[in-house]
Amino acid sequence: MTTFEVFLKKDGRDEFRHVGALEAANDELALVSARECYVRRAEGDLLWVVRRDNILHPDRDFTAPNATKPHRHHSGEAVAARRKALRESTQTNG
Amino acid sequence: MKAPKPMADLSPAARDIILAFADDEHLMGQQHTEWIGVAPFLEEDLAFASIGQDELGHAALLLEAIVGSEDADIDALAFYREPSDWRSCALTEVNLPEWSDTLVRHWLYDAAEELRWQLFAGSSVQHLADISVRAASEERFHRRHGDALLDVLLTVDDARDRLIASLHKLLPVALTLFDGPPTEADAIAEGVISGSLDGLRAPWQQRVDSRFEPVDWAAVAAPAPNQRTQRHGDFAPLLARMLEVLDLDRSVTW
Repeated sequence: MTTFEVFLKKDGRDEFRHVGALEAANDELALVSARECYVRRAEGDLLWVVRRDNILHPDRDFTAPNATKPHRHHSGEAVAARRKALRESTQTNG
Repeated sequence: MKAPKPMADLSPAARDIILAFADDEHLMGQQHTEWIGVAPFLEEDLAFASIGQDELGHAALLLEAIVGSEDADIDALAFYREPSDWRSCALTEVNLPEWSDTLVRHWLYDAAEELRWQLFAGSSVQHLADISVRAASEERFHRRHGDALLDVLLTVDDARDRLIASLHKLLPVALTLFDGPPTEADAIAEGVISGSLDGLRAPWQQRVDSRFEPVDWAAVAAPAPNQRTQRHGDFAPLLARMLEVLDLDRSVTW
């Protein structure tokens, strides 16, 4: 049996979302099973069934270093704080 | 699905031929759903139950066509009839505890069901023609499911041996599918269906031959035709299981 990952999309809105996995003996059975297991209440209009083996998955070290780079977050808070400080110092000096 | 039109003007022959299909669909759906939780693997458990639910849906549509509206007491017709008033065939009544038998029955029944809906496609009863369009679109996927499993299993020696044994065990009782109800000729004359159930036998046999292996049909001893007026020995316990919950309190609205 091969493990497949199942994705669904509502036509016209949303992106494809992962909804679960299944095991099947081949691609055709994977499609048939996905239809009956995940779309039987019309949960999506479009279906992707992907062999898990075909998903590229580097280990955690590949992404870990980026966990300590707050300057890459664009929440705007840091920039807003600097602008506020600059504005206040300008008013004081003027 | 829009509410069916009142069917008070249905002839007895029309009623009987619809009932024969409805009862087969009802029992087939029930038999499939009895595999919930015990099918060979989870994905198949869900798929098979889903297919059974579709068959129950077809039965409900056909029964509604007879009683005339969704508000009428459809349960009285669906569940509370004398066994001799049922019009199911023995293939849908027989108890099959082995998965290989059940899978083969699923395929044999659905192969015939496709041909059977085609008999209703041009029905003089417009509502039946409408139902057949919807059912045919669902049945495509039932057959695809059965074929996908058989495509794999028939290439594995052990599985193939078991499936072929199941096939030959079931072929005689499967031929009861093509036994028409007593008034079938009238239903054809009235245009309710476009041909007899027996007329579906040859195209169905060709499908069986090409799916499994060429069958010596002359050697397949079908039970004596009874025009669907007699029940298989497994019918009574099956109906008892179907009524187990309903009989607790018939007044409850589900």
